[in-house]
Amino acid sequence: MDRFLAQLWMARDAIAGGVLISMEAALTAIVIGSLLGLVIGLLLVYGHVVLRVLCRIYVDIIRGTPVLVLILAAFYITPAVGLQMDAFQAGLLALSLFCGAHLGEIVRGAVQSVPHGQTEAGRSIGLTFPQILAYVVLPQALRQALPPWVNTGVELVKASTLLSVIGVGELLLKTQEIVGRNFMTLEFYAVAGVLYLLINLGIETLGRNLEARVRP
Amino acid sequence: MTEPLAGRPLLQIRGLHKHFKEIEVLKGVDLTVHEREVVSIIGSSGSGKTTLLRCVNLLEEFDGGEIVLDGESIGYRVRRGRRHRLPDRLLSRQRAMTGMVFQNFNLFPHLTALRNVMLGLTKVRRMQRDEARVLAQTWLGRVGLAQRMESYPSQLSGGQQQRVAIARALAMNPKLVLLDEVTSALDPELVQEVLATVKSLADEGATLLIVTHEMGFARQVSHRVVFMDKGQIAEQGAPAEIFERPASARLAEFLGSARR
Repeated sequence: MDRFLAQLWMARDAIAGGVLISMEAALTAIVIGSLLGLVIGLLLVYGHVVLRVLCRIYVDIIRGTPVLVLILAAFYITPAVGLQMDAFQAGLLALSLFCGAHLGEIVRGAVQSVPHGQTEAGRSIGLTFPQILAYVVLPQALRQALPPWVNTGVELVKASTLLSVIGVGELLLKTQEIVGRNFMTLEFYAVAGVLYLLINLGIETLGRNLEARVRP
Repeated sequence: MTEPLAGRPLLQIRGLHKHFKEIEVLKGVDLTVHEREVVSIIGSSGSGKTTLLRCVNLLEEFDGGEIVLDGESIGYRVRRGRRHRLPDRLLSRQRAMTGMVFQNFNLFPHLTALRNVMLGLTKVRRMQRDEARVLAQTWLGRVGLAQRMESYPSQLSGGQQQRVAIARALAMNPKLVLLDEVTSALDPELVQEVLATVKSLADEGATLLIVTHEMGFARQVSHRVVFMDKGQIAEQGAPAEIFERPASARLAEFLGSARR
């Protein structure tokens, strides 16, 4: 036990750094993915047929591809097409695209779950289409989308572990490095497991509070 | 309420045609509604009466004919001999000239009764918040809901929800109010409170175009009753004439079945 605590103390900076990078990757991907998902979801419902088909192709391809493959593709394809990206940026690109596709589908479903009568009621009092979206449809749809949105956030934290494969120093890779030095395999993977659990419990608590607040 | 009306024509529908796929729902409807007039449309389901109302509120597109509201042809413009649907912005402005009350209320469930009424006032009529609040409170008071302004639709009975919907439509100060079977989704004991509210609007001189299955109400509140059958106006006249001396066998048959 003393040896474990001593090793833990020595590894504290590495672990903290890993947690920060994991959270940075997940949070940035959630923010970018949410904006992307909102646009994609609205285009899937209201877009011109060409845009709708393009969005559908994007969503289906991304959702049908394992996240690990997306990450490897982003890492190897971006330099091949002349984009200068480091491993973290390439990983972020993959996670954001993954998140955007999932949220796009969630937003589409939520928008379509708002009864058509709501749009008609908005029209009948003279609201324009953007006003109907902003004040009538989206407030209702986004409430619907909140639980799956939180779920996607949790999925992203878990998917961020895959960035270790392309050499991003997030929590899992840091843990592997620590274990490589001290051979305390079980102990340090347990530490990483507990940290991931804590992060995800934090996100779920945040989500539940948000849900309670927006419920009419 | 059958005194002759001298008001100017507010709504003129001329030769309105509409079909869904191959089914022709409106086969050339002509109807004029004068200012301060209350007109009820009766007829069996599928006769086209609700579609007619929805065309006037521009919720449906129509294929031929013209709707003129207060001198303005609505929904379409003709350019180089071809009809074009107006852009969203203009349609919105024209829709704001009419108020619509729906069979299923269609209140905004995420907003309180007060906010339901205020939304159009602040966003369409561009009123200041405080001014909009006062007007919304006045209208909710007039429909008897002064005590329920902070309630959400789910906390209100059907009759109360429909009265909020009436306040929401009327607060916009529309030239014409369209009421689409406003009591059809209500429990029987809640019908009267909504009908009483509509009657009070009629008594105050609002121009109403009503689609209804409540024959007693149509008779009591209307200046004129229009009977629609198979996408056309089959008969129209003062309520006493329509209900006492139906000219066509079709209307007599319809009234007979409605009474049962």
